[in-house]
Amino acid sequence: MLTSYEQIAFILLIIVCGAIAFQRFNELIAIVRKGQPAAHNTEFIIRLIKALVDVGAQKTIAKSRPVSSTFHALIFFGFSFYVIVNVNDILEAYVHGWTTVASTNPIAQTFNILSDLFSMAVLSGVVFFLIRRFVFKPKAFEFNPNVKLEPGVAAGGIKRDSLIVGVFILVHVGSRWLGTVFHLAEKQHFDPFMPTASVVAPLFYNSAGLEVGIHVAWWLAMGLIVMFLPYFPKSKHIHLMIAPLNLAFKRDNAFGELEKPANKSKPGAKELNDLPLNRVLNAYACIMCNRCQEVCPAHESGAPLSPGALEINKRYYINRNAKALAGENGTADALLDYAISEDGVWACTTCFACANICPVGNEPIMDLIDMRRNQVFDAQMPAELADALRGLDEQGNSLGESARKRSGWTKPLDFKVKDATKDEVKYLWFVGDYASYNQNCLDNTRKFAEILNEAGIDFGIMGKKEKSAGNDVRRAGEEGLFEVLAESNIEAMNECNFEEVITTDPHTFNTIKNEYPALGGEFKVNHYSTFLLDMINSGKINLKKKLDIRATYHDPCYLGRYNGIYKAPRELMEKCGVDVVEMPRNKSNSFCCGAGGGRIWIPDHEDVKKRPSENRMEEASTLGVEYFAVACPKDMTMFSDAIKTVGLEGKMQTVDIVDLVWQAMGLDSKNGQEASSEKSAEAEKSTNNQADLNKINVSLN
Amino acid sequence: MKILVLLRQVPDLVEDLEVDDSGKALDVSEIKFKLNEYDEHALEEAILLKERGEADEVVALTQEGEGSEKVLYTALAKGATLAKSIAISGEASDSAQFAKLMAEAAKAEGGDMIMVGVQSVDDRDGQLAPIVAASLDMPCISAVTGVKVSGNTASIFKEYSGGIMAEFEADLPAVIGIQAAEQPPRYAPVSKIKQIQDSAEIGSLSASSSNGASSIEVLALAPPPKGEGAKMLDSGKDLLDVLKDLGVA
Ligand code: SF4
Ligand code: SF4
Repeated sequence: MLTSYEQIAFILLIIVCGAIAFQRFNELIAIVRKGQPAAHNTEFIIRLIKALVDVGAQKTIAKSRPVSSTFHALIFFGFSFYVIVNVNDILEAYVHGWTTVASTNPIAQTFNILSDLFSMAVLSGVVFFLIRRFVFKPKAFEFNPNVKLEPGVAAGGIKRDSLIVGVFILVHVGSRWLGTVFHLAEKQHFDPFMPTASVVAPLFYNSAGLEVGIHVAWWLAMGLIVMFLPYFPKSKHIHLMIAPLNLAFKRDNAFGELEKPANKSKPGAKELNDLPLNRVLNAYACIMCNRCQEVCPAHESGAPLSPGALEINKRYYINRNAKALAGENGTADALLDYAISEDGVWACTTCFACANICPVGNEPIMDLIDMRRNQVFDAQMPAELADALRGLDEQGNSLGESARKRSGWTKPLDFKVKDATKDEVKYLWFVGDYASYNQNCLDNTRKFAEILNEAGIDFGIMGKKEKSAGNDVRRAGEEGLFEVLAESNIEAMNECNFEEVITTDPHTFNTIKNEYPALGGEFKVNHYSTFLLDMINSGKINLKKKLDIRATYHDPCYLGRYNGIYKAPRELMEKCGVDVVEMPRNKSNSFCCGAGGGRIWIPDHEDVKKRPSENRMEEASTLGVEYFAVACPKDMTMFSDAIKTVGLEGKMQTVDIVDLVWQAMGLDSKNGQEASSEKSAEAEKSTNNQADLNKINVSLN
Repeated sequence: MKILVLLRQVPDLVEDLEVDDSGKALDVSEIKFKLNEYDEHALEEAILLKERGEADEVVALTQEGEGSEKVLYTALAKGATLAKSIAISGEASDSAQFAKLMAEAAKAEGGDMIMVGVQSVDDRDGQLAPIVAASLDMPCISAVTGVKVSGNTASIFKEYSGGIMAEFEADLPAVIGIQAAEQPPRYAPVSKIKQIQDSAEIGSLSASSSNGASSIEVLALAPPPKGEGAKMLDSGKDLLDVLKDLGVA
C-alpha cells in the first residue's frame, strides 16, 4: 500500500494529467466532428460490435506480415489484460492489505498467472518491435525521397514517437513485473502462479531496500501511465483506442462504390474538414506501419505517393495545429500544402491495395479521389487527362475515336452481331472502350464474339449507343462526367430488351454492378470469367481440347480486390488444360498493372524508375511460364507493352483468358478455315512488317 | 478592359465527313459539331488575361443554334464573365459574310479587344480576324501566341516559322487571331457546367447585315480520290528487291 502522501500525490497527478489529456481529446473530437458526415447503411452499434470482434480476433492485422502480426497479438492481448492489472494495482495502493501475491484464492491465482505470462508477452513483443525498427531498419519504413512530408514527420517524428511509445510500454510493464518480483523476494516465496517472477525473485532475497523498490516500481508502472496521458492523444499509441472506432465508422457499402461528393457545389476535398469525418479519424487510427506503402504500386515505382505518409502527415498537421483547427475559424491550409503533393494525388492507380491491407481500416485511396474531385473542379489536372476527359465528353470514349465506329471491330467477323438497341437479346454485351477500339484488344474482343456465336448464345451489343461506362472517369475525380456517361448508358440499356449484361472489362463490370444502381440502373451484370465458366459447366460451351500449357494469372484489381472474383478465372484456365502457376503476389495481394483510376491516360511521373506493369512482368518471369494470362482488356495493353520494355519478348506472351477458351474450343482451326480473328492477326502482322520496314528505312538512311 | 471572344462550332473531324446530295456541301445531318480548337485557345488566352488582372471582362459570343448553349455554358464554367448567343437572320454563305455578321454583333456588344481563333477547319485561310478588323476599322494581328495588356495598349507575341519570335504593340481596340494560348486550354468539369446552367443567364445579340449573295460559288465538294494503295512487304529483303527493281539499290 502507498503512503498517504503518495496516495495524495497520485490523485493530484491524475487530476493534472487527466485535465490536459481531457482537453486534448476534446480538441480531437471537435476536429473530427468538423468533417463531413460519413455514409453508412447499418447502425453504429452493429458496426462497433463487428469492429470489436475483428480487433479481438486480430483479423485485420493478420492480413500481412505474419511475424510482426504475431508479436502484435502478444502485445494486444497482454495490454488488454493489463486493464485488469492496473485496476488491481490501484486497489493494492489504496486498500489496506489488498494483494494477490502468494494468494491461494483461485481467482487471484488465475489473475497472477495471466499477468505474469502476459507481461512477458508484451515485453517480448515490444522488444521485437524496437529491434525491428531501430536495429534492422526495414526498407518499408522509408518514404521515397520525393514524397511530401509534413515538417514534423520530416524531422523524424515517427521514429521519436515509436521510441517513446516503445520505451513507455517497456517501462510500464517491466516495472510492474519487477514489482511482483520484489513482493515475492520480500516474502521469500516461490509462487508457481507467478512463474517468471518467482524464478527471478531469489536474486533479491535479503536485498536491502525492497520496500523502496516496490514503491519505485509501482510509480514507474502506474505513475508513468498517468504521466503518459497528455502525450497519449498525440502519439501512435492512441491507435488502440481509435482503431476499433475507426473500423466502426468506416463506410460499409461495396468496396467498388464510391461515395457521392458530400458537397455538390464544392465537390471533393481541398481542406481537412472537406473529408468525411471517418477519414479525418483515419489519421489517428494510423499506426505508421507503412503496410499500405509496401503494397502501393505508385510508391514502388518511385512516384511521389505514399498512402501511409498521407495519413501520417494529416496526423502531424493536426497535432501541430490542433487549437486552431478545433477553433471556430479552423486553418486556411489545403491538404496539398502538407498531406501530399499534386503529383502524388495523380499517381494513384486506385488499385485499393492500401485500403485492403490497412490493419486499422484506413482508406487513403478515398482521400486521394476526393482531392482529385476538388482538383478537377478547379480545372487543375494533367493536360493528358484533360484531353481524355474531353474525348469522353465529346465522343463517349477515352481514345479520341469516333463514337460511330464503336462497333467497327465486328466487321471482320463472318457472322452478324445483333444490335441490341433494335433486337431482343438474352445477353447484352457491354463491350467497353478498350475492347472496342484498342488494337491490342480487338482480336480478343472478336474471339469472345466467336465463342458466343459458336455456343449459340443469344447476345447483342449497343454499338454507338454505348459509351464508356465511366468507372475510371469517376476515379479520376470527374464526377459530373461520370454521371453523364452513366445516365446515358442506363437510358440506352433501359431501351434495350435483354436479361443480363456481360462484359470483358472489370472496370465496366465494377461500375455497372456497384455504382449504376444508385443512378437507377439495376442490371444483373457478369464478368466474362464467371460467365464462360457457367457456360462450360452447364454444357453450353464445349471444350474440345486441352491446351497443355503453363501460365500464370494476373488478378485485375477491379475484378479481384474490388469484387472478390478470384476462383472463376483460375478454374476456367484449368478447364482449358492450363497449369496455373501462381505469382508470389496473387489474389487479394495482386499487384496492380498501373492503368486504373485514369492512370492509363496520364504519363508516368518523371521519377518513375520501374512501371508497375514492368515490376509485375519481372515477378512473372521468375516462374518459368510462357504465358501471362489476363482477364481485362487494359491489362492486355499494359502487359503487352511491359513484355517489350523488360526484354521478355519471345520468352513470355500475354494472353487473354478468352483466347484460352477460344483455343480450347478448337475455334483456331474451325472447319479448316481461318477464323476471322486470325485474319486480323495477319493484318496486324503486316503492320509489324511495316514497322520492320521503317527500321530498315532508318538504317538505309 | 473588356475582351470579346468569338467562338465557332465546326465539324468534328473524328467522324468521317460526307458530302450531301447536291455535291456542293457537307451533309450536315450526319456531322457532329464541336468547338473550334483555336477558339478554345482564344478563350483560354482571354481568361488568362482576366486572371492576371489585365482584363476585367471576358464576353463569350457564338452563333445561336444547336449546341451553342453548351459552348457558352462551358465558356462560363471556364471563367468567362458573360456569354451571349448571336441570332443571325438569313444565312452566311461564305466565311467573309459570316465574319461581317460577327463584326456587327461585336460592335453591338462593344469591347476593347476581340479575340478569335486564328483559323478553323472550315476557315483554313483564317479570314475571320482580318475581316472583322476591317469591318470595324481596327488593327489586326493574327497567329498570335501571347498577349499582355497594360492600359490602352497591348503587347502581342507571335511566332514566325524558323523559330523567330516577334513582339508587337497595338493600340486598343484591336482584333487578335490566336494561334495558341500561353497554356493548353483548361478543361471545364461537367459538374461546374451543370451548376452554371442552373445559375447563369445567357444573353442575346442579333446580326442581320445583308450583303447580298456571295460572290464565290462552290462548284463541287468531294473526298480526295483514293490512291492506288500500298503494297505490304514481308521482309527487308523484299524491300531491297523492290529497290533493285527500281534501280536505286
Ligand atoms: S489505391 Fe493503390 S495506388 Fe492508390 S494509394 Fe492505394 S495502394 Fe497506392
Ligand atoms: S494507413 Fe494503415 S497501413 Fe498505412 S501506415 Fe497507417 S495504419 Fe499502416
